[in-house]
Amino acid sequence: MTEPTDPLISELARKLVETLGLDMAPESVDPAAPLIGAGLGIDSIDTLELVVMIDRDYGVKIDNRAAGVEAFASLSGLAAFIRQRRPATPA
Amino acid sequence: MKPRQRAFVTGIGVVCAGANNVAELRSLLARPRRNFRSPTVFPCQGETANLPVAEVSGIESDEASDIPRTHRLALMAAREAIGSGPAPDAIVLGTSTGGILTTETALKAGITSPDAYRRHGLDTVAAHLAQALHVRGPVLTLSTACSSAAVAMSVAVALLRAGLASRVLAGGADSLSRLTFHGFRTLQLLAPEGCAPLDANRAGMTVGEGAGFLLLESTPTQRPVLALMSGTGLSCDAYHASSPHPEGAGAAQAMRRALDDAGVEPPAVDYVNLHGTGTVDNDAAEAKALHQVFGAALPPLSSTKGLTGHPLAAAGAIEAVISVIALTDGLLPANTGLGTEDARLGLAPVREPTRAQVSTVLSNSFGFGGNNACIVLQSPGVQATAVDENAAEAVHGSLPALRVAGVACFTAKGGLDDTWNALVSGQSAAGFVPDAVFSKAVQAAFVRRLKRLPRLVLALAQTAYAASSEQLPPEFLAVGTAWGPLTETQDFLRKLFESAEQFSSPTDFIGSVHNAPAGQVALFLGATAPNLTCSAGDRSFAQALLCASLGVAAGKKSALVMAAEAHEARLSPLFDERAATGPLASDGGAAFLLVPDDALPGARVRWRGEFGGSDLEFLEKFPALKLSGHYDAILVSVPAALGPKANEQVSKLAEAISPCPLVAIRDRLGQHASVGATAVALAARAVLEGRLPFAAPPIPLPRKRLLMLELGPQTAAIEVFA
Repeated sequence: MTEPTDPLISELARKLVETLGLDMAPESVDPAAPLIGAGLGIDSIDTLELVVMIDRDYGVKIDNRAAGVEAFASLSGLAAFIRQRRPATPA
Repeated sequence: MKPRQRAFVTGIGVVCAGANNVAELRSLLARPRRNFRSPTVFPCQGETANLPVAEVSGIESDEASDIPRTHRLALMAAREAIGSGPAPDAIVLGTSTGGILTTETALKAGITSPDAYRRHGLDTVAAHLAQALHVRGPVLTLSTACSSAAVAMSVAVALLRAGLASRVLAGGADSLSRLTFHGFRTLQLLAPEGCAPLDANRAGMTVGEGAGFLLLESTPTQRPVLALMSGTGLSCDAYHASSPHPEGAGAAQAMRRALDDAGVEPPAVDYVNLHGTGTVDNDAAEAKALHQVFGAALPPLSSTKGLTGHPLAAAGAIEAVISVIALTDGLLPANTGLGTEDARLGLAPVREPTRAQVSTVLSNSFGFGGNNACIVLQSPGVQATAVDENAAEAVHGSLPALRVAGVACFTAKGGLDDTWNALVSGQSAAGFVPDAVFSKAVQAAFVRRLKRLPRLVLALAQTAYAASSEQLPPEFLAVGTAWGPLTETQDFLRKLFESAEQFSSPTDFIGSVHNAPAGQVALFLGATAPNLTCSAGDRSFAQALLCASLGVAAGKKSALVMAAEAHEARLSPLFDERAATGPLASDGGAAFLLVPDDALPGARVRWRGEFGGSDLEFLEKFPALKLSGHYDAILVSVPAALGPKANEQVSKLAEAISPCPLVAIRDRLGQHASVGATAVALAARAVLEGRLPFAAPPIPLPRKRLLMLELGPQTAAIEVFA
């Protein structure tokens, strides 16, 4: 990796691998690649598992199809989605 | 094709949201009004409290009773179905919740006394009924998620057709629970405003609860015949753990099988009671399946879940009662909750309760694991072609032996060979199965989300297949498990309680249903055959064998029968304390690929009966088994839960069968509810080798014939011979 890593993306990659029990290193998740589908083998149940994790850990709800499409476009897209909607955290 | 023998429906009983008996349900169907509200049977916090459920009201509060809610709902409906008539001679119950609501409360309170969990097991619901209603015959429990009750009714019809019972109480029961409510919530399947099946804007289901029972008889007695149960059809999507096949392939197959079984052509159907949960996917898949089966001429149809909610394992039974009312009252029930019909479905559901001549009803139930079950109910006076009295399943009270075409078992010592060799060298096979024994059997990607029990079961299925020369998927699949996927259950509830009941894992919820492992096997093998999960405590394996034998008796050419348990560090000692603690604590199981008896060499297994009653009352039934001089040895599986009382039982048994040797198999194989399956796997090898190595000293088997008895409140008998 040559570009500087976004800490939220790294954190999400770690949680993605951990939550779904993926047999891969978090660093090897391509931040620009689609999250759902053939690449990582992530299906609808995995997606819901991520929805719960994002609600629990970031307070961001994904409760309709359109939001899901936007949120899970890619890892970097997910980071942006969370940043936009995340409730203000006490400093 | 001639229809096969019908079952006579001579009693019905029901309890569901809005109706605590048949008369109330009748009024409710005539003037539908629903009363969905926030759950009160368990506390809900925050926004989750706004999600409505379909709760039964007007019954004794849960705090006032030490009997779990599912058990009480079941007994209410069962008593009504039987009325003042004599006791049934068998019970077949579908349930998915058992005592989970009580268990959740106890776990949340940190209660560590196993006494608080003694009615957790799914089998305890039917046992409660058997005790209260004095039922001495087979007491069966099926658990295939939301199709459970319909599957149970299918098994009940098979029991009647096989002459194994003449009067069967069949149905289902489930209570609301945190597990199912929060489980469906994490799947985003709960409708915020209550379910609206077939609606263009449908937003999910509404979890309900209740119980329904039908009294089914093989010959009409003095009681009036309300309806005929003419046929049933089972299938499995083998597509996904929780989502239906998008084209409704499995659903269509189950409907066709039920209609064929009943000898009914699609145009003869007057009404279809849909599964119709109100989820986007279910209703879309079911609509496609209906168009495949009925073409352009769709019969009147509706989902009644807009009224009753979705009572999960009880749904098929409650809807069977609704179907009987449709027949007797000439009523097409309304699709309550429907606003704007979803034109894409093309179904034109019944909008208002409508009077009509109704003679033939098809009722659909579908569940997780792609598990589909349909039943056909008809008016008693319906004209039809003559019933085929000589159908293959007319076995007159005993079931055929099945040839073992492939077998596998897992113990602490490894697979069948390793276990056999350990026992021959005098070692014990007690203990937990090492991960390495089963984790190599299936591809890592396939099992990524699976925990201990489904991995064990999948690996057993694969190993039994590899040991056979069979290539095709089985035509019948039956899995026994007393405790189901405990790791998933524990993980789901732990995460739920850790987050103040806000969050848990959808994967764990889907994995927690008792039939999840069987669904995985179907996926793995591409098996669209009937797919049953039996959960009857220590008799789970024997009941899986019974169901598969009924399937083979009715013409199936192969059956995969398995049973397994997976130890879970927290829950196992609470649920089955004596078995799950101490030096004999074990898990594992066995799988058998069985085919109809033929001339080929190999071991045979045969289900010989399930006998109820206290102590050794079942011994009186033994003359039928030709106990004396017939077997080389009796293997006796004594669950630790029976306690010291069992010693007396075993010595009485030894005395009764003397000089035939008696071998207490759990002393060598360890304690778990499915260890009887392992014993049968070893016995199948022993009869071929002509010696029983796990007795000390080894027992020669000149007759090549063994009997395995699973002791308990009910005793199950399985014969193994060569």
